[in-house]
Amino acid sequence: MDLLITLGPHLLNGVALGLLFALVALGFMLIIGVMEVINLAHGSLFALGAYVAVALVTPEGGLRLAALATYFAFPLPARFVVALVVAPIVVGGVGMVLEVCLRRTYGRDPLYGLLLTFGAALVLEELIRLVWGPTERFLPVPAAITGGITLGGLVYSVYRFFASAFAVGMIVLLWLFLQRTRYGALIKAGAHDSEMVRALGVNLTRLRLLVFALGTALAAVAGIVMAPIWGVRPHVGVDAVVPAFVVIVLGGVGSFWGAVIAGLLVGMVVGITGAFATAWSLVSMYVLLILVVTVRGRGLLGKKSVLER
Amino acid sequence: MRIGALARGMMGWLSPAMLVAFALFGTLPLWIEAVGLYRYLGIEILIWCIFALGFNLLLGYTGLPSFGHGAYFGIGAYALGLTQFHLAASLWVGLLAATLAAAVMGGGVALFISHRRGIYFALMTIAFGQMFFFIASKWTSVTGGEDGLLDIRRLPAHVGFAAFDLTGNLAMSYFTFATFAVVTVLLWRLVHSPFGKVLRAIKQNETRMAYLGYRVFAYKWASFTLSCAVAGLAGGLFAMAQHGAYVQVMNLQWSGVVVLMTLVGGGLVSFWGPVVGTVLYFVARDLLGMYTESWLLWFGLMFMLVVMFKPEGVAGIWQAAAARAGARRRARAVALQPAGGK
Repeated sequence: MDLLITLGPHLLNGVALGLLFALVALGFMLIIGVMEVINLAHGSLFALGAYVAVALVTPEGGLRLAALATYFAFPLPARFVVALVVAPIVVGGVGMVLEVCLRRTYGRDPLYGLLLTFGAALVLEELIRLVWGPTERFLPVPAAITGGITLGGLVYSVYRFFASAFAVGMIVLLWLFLQRTRYGALIKAGAHDSEMVRALGVNLTRLRLLVFALGTALAAVAGIVMAPIWGVRPHVGVDAVVPAFVVIVLGGVGSFWGAVIAGLLVGMVVGITGAFATAWSLVSMYVLLILVVTVRGRGLLGKKSVLER
Repeated sequence: MRIGALARGMMGWLSPAMLVAFALFGTLPLWIEAVGLYRYLGIEILIWCIFALGFNLLLGYTGLPSFGHGAYFGIGAYALGLTQFHLAASLWVGLLAATLAAAVMGGGVALFISHRRGIYFALMTIAFGQMFFFIASKWTSVTGGEDGLLDIRRLPAHVGFAAFDLTGNLAMSYFTFATFAVVTVLLWRLVHSPFGKVLRAIKQNETRMAYLGYRVFAYKWASFTLSCAVAGLAGGLFAMAQHGAYVQVMNLQWSGVVVLMTLVGGGLVSFWGPVVGTVLYFVARDLLGMYTESWLLWFGLMFMLVVMFKPEGVAGIWQAAAARAGARRRARAVALQPAGGK
């Protein structure tokens, strides 16, 4: 019991991490579902989201125009909220450009989509290096959500609580969007059989554009929320996107709650191994993946899908 | 008549394009400095050619995209170094260990993933590749962690009656070329064997092959394991060339780079695609690198354009041009025939 209590902060870290992984994974999965493309640039877009947020929050972040002086005079919480809203929109726009490039690969071997996004990942990462330089940057956080609170003699980080709550909010919003709106229904139908959706008179081109923008914007949101925890480096995306792959395969491709459960599971495992053997915490999730996938070939909640062609 | 049969027999092992490639790469150390490049680049190109050719057995011939192949390259590099330090200071033992270690690891992974295809396969290879990457970067007592395994020596090549010293880059160039030639001939023979035909058939339609009674799992397993073995051999050579084994080659980006080389060159439509792509990559790196720090940006953009507009790569462009030229020649020959000649 004592052990469980001392693990508390690690579990909180794990939950925050897992929910953010799930958020990245969900955006990634929307794109896989409707376009059958593995978006290898997802990690770079995650990083781009964090960098744009840094630029919007700190004057040293890249924007040094005199006209912006009044903007940077706003209090930090206001700028943080602006970043949380604007950066995902910017990244969603970049995602739309990428989708337009991807159009030429539809109907061909899915490999080409994968390769195009790999090229895009290289380009985005180099662009980030070019604009912001290779050094690490930090995203300042409003005082209201920093610091720690002491519970039962242990210090819990307030920001991790915020990150978890924020991720839960985003996941619920996304679920409501998919369940309760017309576009949500179209996206789910598109993931099931996109050609049939087109045959029924839906503008598939616009739907794909929307899904790509939504998926990449979710990556950006996760990138911003993660930035104060991990720091912001040009290649930070890999650290987020590879766990997202793991989460998707573990939860089962195409399963919303599968991804959330798998995200939490991965986060917990990373958090708990982090408590005992810090160096090995990131390896543990692959061991978990191999264990689960050996027993359940399609992941925890996966169903047979078009992706197994 | 007998010469004809002999020529046909030879064709299984050699081809005109192969002879051209051997002539070019075999004389590389003689002229590479004259065109403004340096000898070490030649070694690097040949090593990555070996890696990419082996990788293409999996990607181009079996149709299985692996995004974690850098891991097996790295395992080969570490295996060569560790064997040299702890087991036996022999070149051949080291290279054999590099090949076998990668084959064993790859074979183990292949057991988990050979029943998958497409996107699932790609995701699983990424996961396994990352696992090896993290193990290599954290298991400091064995691999040296982020610093890498340093001071790997280039041991002399004993061939019974003589021993060649490989410490200089010239000798290393020739040794790498010899390995490249052997691997190329073996891979060429392999993909033109019945085994290679089955692999290509699996690429086209896996389900049909399974219904025809072929043990698809075993073929995919063998293809993955063989390409890992070749990657390990290339990794071993790379450790010799670099005098060390470093963890960077095992990360996701380097695993992607070998896919990129293979595809830009046209590995999906030609045996030689990976070689063309590798040469292009390194020359682009050095030429663009002279003008700009961020050469990967331009290379990435070029790569995106290739995938968008010429997805069959350089070899695809070449083949299309050759087909057009052939059609023109035939059209001219028809036009030259006298009217009503029949």
